[in-house]
Amino acid sequence: MLIEYVDVFISGMTNGSVYALMAVGLTLVYGVSKAFNFAYGSFFSLGGYLAWILLALVGIWGGYISVFLVALPLLMVFGYVTEKLIVAPLRKRSDWEIKVMMLTLGLALFMDNLFQVVFGSRMKSLPPIVDGVLEVGDLVVSYQDVVIFILSISGILAFRWFLNNTRIGMAVRAVAQNPEGARIVGIPKDRIFAATFGISTVMVGLGGVLLAQKYFVSPSGGWDILVKSWVITAFGGMGSIRGGLYAAFILGMLEAFVGYWFGMTWVLFALFGVLLATLAVRPQGLLGKWG
Amino acid sequence: MGALMAIIYGGLALMPIFVGGTDHLMHILIMILIWGVVASCWDLIMGFAGIFSFGQVAFFVIGAYASAIVANKFGIPPIFAIFVAGGITAAIGVLVGLPCLRLKGAYVALVTFAVHMILEPFLKGPMGRAIGTGGSRGILTIQPIEIFGFAFTPDHKVAVFYLTLVLAILCSIIILMVIRSFWGTAFLALKDSEDFSASLGVSAFKYKLAVFALTSFLTGMVGGFYGHYVGMLSTRMLGIDLFVTLMIMLVIGGIGHFPGAILGAIVTVTLNEMLSPLGSYRPLILGGLVVVLVLFLPDGVIGLVRRFFNGKSKIQEADA
Amino acid sequence: MLRTTDLNAYYGQFHVLHDVSVHIKEKEVVVVLGPNGHGKSTLLKSICGLVDRVEGSILYKGQNITGRPAEKLVNEGVIYIAENRELFPEMSVLENLKLGAYSKNARSHEKKNMAKVLDLFPRLEERKKQMASTLSGGEARMLAIARGLMSHADFLCIDEPSLGLQPNLRVEVFNIIKEINKQGKSILLVEQNIPQIAELADRIYMLEEGQITFEGTAREALENDHLKEIFLGM
Repeated sequence: MLIEYVDVFISGMTNGSVYALMAVGLTLVYGVSKAFNFAYGSFFSLGGYLAWILLALVGIWGGYISVFLVALPLLMVFGYVTEKLIVAPLRKRSDWEIKVMMLTLGLALFMDNLFQVVFGSRMKSLPPIVDGVLEVGDLVVSYQDVVIFILSISGILAFRWFLNNTRIGMAVRAVAQNPEGARIVGIPKDRIFAATFGISTVMVGLGGVLLAQKYFVSPSGGWDILVKSWVITAFGGMGSIRGGLYAAFILGMLEAFVGYWFGMTWVLFALFGVLLATLAVRPQGLLGKWG
Repeated sequence: MGALMAIIYGGLALMPIFVGGTDHLMHILIMILIWGVVASCWDLIMGFAGIFSFGQVAFFVIGAYASAIVANKFGIPPIFAIFVAGGITAAIGVLVGLPCLRLKGAYVALVTFAVHMILEPFLKGPMGRAIGTGGSRGILTIQPIEIFGFAFTPDHKVAVFYLTLVLAILCSIIILMVIRSFWGTAFLALKDSEDFSASLGVSAFKYKLAVFALTSFLTGMVGGFYGHYVGMLSTRMLGIDLFVTLMIMLVIGGIGHFPGAILGAIVTVTLNEMLSPLGSYRPLILGGLVVVLVLFLPDGVIGLVRRFFNGKSKIQEADA
Repeated sequence: MLRTTDLNAYYGQFHVLHDVSVHIKEKEVVVVLGPNGHGKSTLLKSICGLVDRVEGSILYKGQNITGRPAEKLVNEGVIYIAENRELFPEMSVLENLKLGAYSKNARSHEKKNMAKVLDLFPRLEERKKQMASTLSGGEARMLAIARGLMSHADFLCIDEPSLGLQPNLRVEVFNIIKEINKQGKSILLVEQNIPQIAELADRIYMLEEGQITFEGTAREALENDHLKEIFLGM
């Protein structure tokens, strides 16, 4: 019994780490530019599909290296350009927040079906980065899970380093904390918006690569991720990175245990239940505010 | 606004003269009317009250199921069942609206979208089946609406059309009255500045709940009507396709430009039909269309028309 | 150094500035007076590229900078220091200052300016690592000015620096402004407190309802009945 609980715990931690990566991306974009990216789920799938293509082209060992070297920058460019081309022009309009949501929703539909047309609707799986398992007594942990965990955490730490130690990172924080102040100081807000959008694309795309090994890539697989990322972000507080981190692990654990005890169909209910209960008491989420 | 609405409905009312014989086209017209109401409700809550509600489709489906179940299980005549369904949906709408009262922007979208996402597993799952939703199969037989012994079945599409027209006009008049009334002004004030309205003592909560209640009621009622018309229901309606289609109606019609939503419904449903031979490419085009439309048609067709004819209309000044 | 000719500025449909023509010579301190809400901040913001719709001409060092956004102007040496300070609340004093030197031009002089600024504002040096949100009103005001200095600007638009400060702090702020001017910067200042202005200002403009209604030296301003009326009547 205990072993099973540890198993569930590990699953929760692993998934939680990837969720954390993706939630931070979402909360980043929202915190900095107040834009809500409904196509986040499709970007997730994009990551998975990019990885799949690269692996098919280059084979497994070279594969994952190429995935990180090629796919991640591609995702960054994709996000940056998307923001510049279709999100930025909306900012001057009335009701721009609704319009951004609508536009990104349309984009999501477009992308999902593009995937379906190009890749077919059957799910694709990616081979694990590292095969094999670690055995500690009765406990069996796959290296894959360990790698996923390490990579996600690394991604988050890299991001944190970026925010605190680079000029652009500081500019990003500045824009999030005080857009008018950022303007006064001469920070090019538009470029920062595009850059953060690009960064969030990389993060969610990476999440797509990491989770694809366990959960397959499919044209509509992103919606689940969008909703979960959203719930986590809202639970942790939109715009709060630390909040997103805590939320991701808490809800990742919740998901693992609820799934284990009651079955996966109850997970969504549980997540929303916790979210609603929290929002009722704290409308801004756990740590709502830029933090 | 009222005049435009009258023209639109007047035009629609005459359509059966031309296409009354073609079953398929009549079906399209009926759906235009139905979606027109749903889209108008969405416009009311988003465009006028400024609440980012993403639960419209969910409320439609809730109303549809509620009416079917109430009619099937309790034997209530469908003509009344749809109002009961409207009431049930309104109650749920208020329940959903309650947590949204203190939330901002994206949070509200999240909660309401959550309702949409939870609805499918709920309807298909054990709880749903317990109340008669038929699980994954859905509800396979629903009684049609009967008035004085005449059954409004899909065999009598022209009759159904005119009944739908009456219903749609009634709903639209209600929406129009709300927009024109003090409530409408209060909504606009809320939308532009919540803090300011709060300082005026305007009970934002009261108005927000009222908007949730009203739009859910109308949408649910129309949903129930839909169920009794087509005779069966499944959870397919909860797919993202329909959601985006509804959104396109708003985008084309213009958010906050009543009765643009109805025009949006006309254009969108027609477009959808024209595109259906494209099969799996259809969502691709729809998605791309949304992106293009939001970018290039900021105020929808209505906005374009208004700008063309008037120079500056009242609504555009309010926006600025 | 900087000259505006027939400057008109708009916030949306709102026509705020009407044919405003002012000029500030190199190393001058010019003060803009006027009742609240009549466009003083808008004038400064228009010059500094923070107003979206501006018509007319703004010449800076001979170049036409009308309509150029703040992100470019900061690099040219024109900086706005807001009445609201607009600091970054969850960053330290040091980080706020560093961000003040974001533009390319400022970056190359960052170390030098940082030393200068911390010397000029010893209290900020003490609180280097403190979060900006924990500063008192006066300290925040100092930080805003210091941050503006970090931009290596030659032309500073300072918006009501003494607003809400206690008298002794007010004197400190004005002394600092005097010092900055001595170091060779040109300053366009918006202020309310007349007595202190007289000492500080080389010239004064009066802006009422978005239009210039007076231009002259401080002495001339003090002798002007109309001006006295407005400000003593407040």
